[in-house]
Amino acid sequence: MTKQGLNFNQRILSNGLTVIGEENGSAKSAAVGFFVRTGSRDENKQINGVSHFLEHMVFKGTEKLSPFEVNERFDKTGAQYNAFTSEENTVFWAAILPEYLVEVTRLWIEMMRPALRDEDFNIEKHVIKEEIAMYKDMPNYDVMDRCRSLYFGEHPCGNSVLGSEESIENMTAQQMRGYFSNRYAPNNIVAAFAGNFKWEEICAVAEDGCGGWEEKKTDRRISDTRGSGKKDKFEKPNVSCEHICLISPAVAAQDERRFAASLLGDIVGDDFGSRFFWELVDKALSETAAMQYSPMDGTGTFYSYIRCSSDNAGKVLDIVGRIFAELAKDGVTESELSKAKNKVLSALVIKNELPMGRLVDLGSNWIYLRQYRSIEQDVAAVKAVTVKDINSLINEFDLRGFTQYTIGPAKQG
Amino acid sequence: MTEIIDKHVLSNKMVILGEPMEQVQSAAFNFMLPAGAALMPEKCCGAANVMDDWIFRGAGDKDSKQLGDALDGLGVQRSSGVGTSHLVIGGALEASNLSAALGLYGDVILRPRLQEEHFGPARQLAIDGIKGLDDDPRHKVMLKLREQFYPTPLGRSTAGEIADLEKLTAEQTRAIVRERFNLSKTIFSMAGKYDFDAVCRQFEGLFAPAAVLRQQDAGAVQIGKRGSKYTHIHNDGAQVHIGLMTETVRANDKDYYNARVAVSVLSGGMSARLFTEVREKRGLCYAVGAQYNALKEAAGVAAYAGTTPDKAQQTLDLIIAEFRRLAEGISEEEIQRAKVGLKSSLILQSESSSSRAGAIGSDYYILGRVRSLDEIKEKIEATTVDSVLGYLRNKPFKEFIVVTIGPKEVKV
Repeated sequence: MTKQGLNFNQRILSNGLTVIGEENGSAKSAAVGFFVRTGSRDENKQINGVSHFLEHMVFKGTEKLSPFEVNERFDKTGAQYNAFTSEENTVFWAAILPEYLVEVTRLWIEMMRPALRDEDFNIEKHVIKEEIAMYKDMPNYDVMDRCRSLYFGEHPCGNSVLGSEESIENMTAQQMRGYFSNRYAPNNIVAAFAGNFKWEEICAVAEDGCGGWEEKKTDRRISDTRGSGKKDKFEKPNVSCEHICLISPAVAAQDERRFAASLLGDIVGDDFGSRFFWELVDKALSETAAMQYSPMDGTGTFYSYIRCSSDNAGKVLDIVGRIFAELAKDGVTESELSKAKNKVLSALVIKNELPMGRLVDLGSNWIYLRQYRSIEQDVAAVKAVTVKDINSLINEFDLRGFTQYTIGPAKQG
Repeated sequence: MTEIIDKHVLSNKMVILGEPMEQVQSAAFNFMLPAGAALMPEKCCGAANVMDDWIFRGAGDKDSKQLGDALDGLGVQRSSGVGTSHLVIGGALEASNLSAALGLYGDVILRPRLQEEHFGPARQLAIDGIKGLDDDPRHKVMLKLREQFYPTPLGRSTAGEIADLEKLTAEQTRAIVRERFNLSKTIFSMAGKYDFDAVCRQFEGLFAPAAVLRQQDAGAVQIGKRGSKYTHIHNDGAQVHIGLMTETVRANDKDYYNARVAVSVLSGGMSARLFTEVREKRGLCYAVGAQYNALKEAAGVAAYAGTTPDKAQQTLDLIIAEFRRLAEGISEEEIQRAKVGLKSSLILQSESSSSRAGAIGSDYYILGRVRSLDEIKEKIEATTVDSVLGYLRNKPFKEFIVVTIGPKEVKV
């Protein structure tokens, strides 16, 4: 599985912006991403949702570019491009044929200094409200959001990414400009490249375009939490299944034990062959039952999502409780770990075959660890995890200490 | 970039296709079994979904747990799904484990245990999958739209029908597996890193002896009527989810590439017309878009938009107006953007072994051959403003089938 010809480079510009790239001459495409270390955890209640709203506004152009020109310039290159916002990152990306990479990178660089015009802000507000409405109709997402907020409580990671209708309605373009100027500082941005490109050429483009951005200090306060452990429920008349989300604490993205945590997530809640699968899905007690490790900056969680009929909800939760208790008592087995490793490694190889897949790991590793990690290093780290490592993780982060949120149909009478 | 397509027909007429990819370490594969939703017997809608689950609950000398463990042990990223024409089962994995995985899939196809005790849970999961759609109106509206748009049985829900599933028995389902897992009509496709001769030899050993038992005709579908023009499903949700679909040319038509470019002008990138008019200029929706959607027997352009109730009528009217406006004129720049977008997405997809395995299998089924990427690129390149407008004027979008789910109906 050795990858031939991957070459990593990095440069930190004088204003603090980091440029990283992993060249792969045999790839047919290239991928570019601007990883901005900002998200809903960096907001306060008045401007909740601003990171995500700002991500939309970046596409509305600059002093020189109208929103329509931005879209046309991207589409002229055939790029697949978009952006996403999480609790702690805003990522702008494009997957592109190599001959257009410089052009698309220059466009992203221009867009990273957006005009944030009032008239665009007012139209886009409607789009954001539609997005909030869309997620309300998706209880599988809604339940995760509500559970995250219940788990984190006053911890900033509990802030909703989308914000509420109220926070969006009351937000002003001026507030967004203030947030932008604090958070899109050069030292808070990583420009990452993967696939078929030439480092010297692309680095010069980045330096030329971003080097003049004003230096500014920006940071984030990091704290860990073990979650509230609370339980809550929302009954909705138009929902037909029980959507259950459980969140329990785990190690942070910076912790060496993240590979063990990821394997534990797989052992307990992979789509096939996991404990959830055999105990819940195989027996048709629940249609979906998944657990995943979610690493974050300075903290981390295990998320479980289970969908079942209301009749089965009690029984399903009893079984989950039993699975977690058995794990606490007996730990995992060698055979479970070995299967989980095979699945995780195979997924890792497949994902990294696409420059776009590689970009996400490359950028995330830099954002969280300030470190380049080759695919081989990650493969070796997964292989090195032992049953003992996982069992001591279970010991320290008891899965039974979860916070629970359920969205289900309104009870009759 | 001239790629090779490997092809071999086994003595039992099962077709083996492959696209080698030098730059990858993975292999992806699909068995397209002629057991899709349209091929299920009457009153058995959803049986394919039950089969998809049941056949993996033990096969050959392995029980359910042993089979699952064996697949996991090989690191198989499993994928399966029911389409109109096929039940597709497959996966992706590190290439060195391919042969072992194919051996397991051979058992699943030829020697599934189909034990009584496992039928109940398999059927229950299929029923729960349909119930789950009630909480996913975006997905449900498009399934309901296909049901109305494609003539029966082509439009049959690929999720199934609860009423049919509740009556389905293990014996009926076993009979369907026997009848429909017809190897002479099965297409196997793979892409990535593989040894084609070795796979063919392995398959000749695995599948050819079974040919005698599996020669029944999977049966051609009798195409019936199209559904209603407008269907509304009430749901007190936050948005009205709108699906609409109109007829267009099939993949073997001379105007196929003109149609693809026209749809791309309508909804290719963010500068395309639907996104510009509906979202960028008016802020009516977050999600809006249209796609070319084809079966072997029929094809259409399907559009989706989700919007709050007060904006639903305006959104629907605007989308239909944009479909119709296409024939009035398209600029050279729009055509160029559409063409470069289509070509670029083709090349980006060609880096993924899973995408390629899927694409070559579906090409073979629909066209009877696999198109090379060069051929597709040339044909896209050959389209012009005049050729696309010519197609739009000769075959205008006439009737729209509309389905909505939400708190408010629209006028069609």
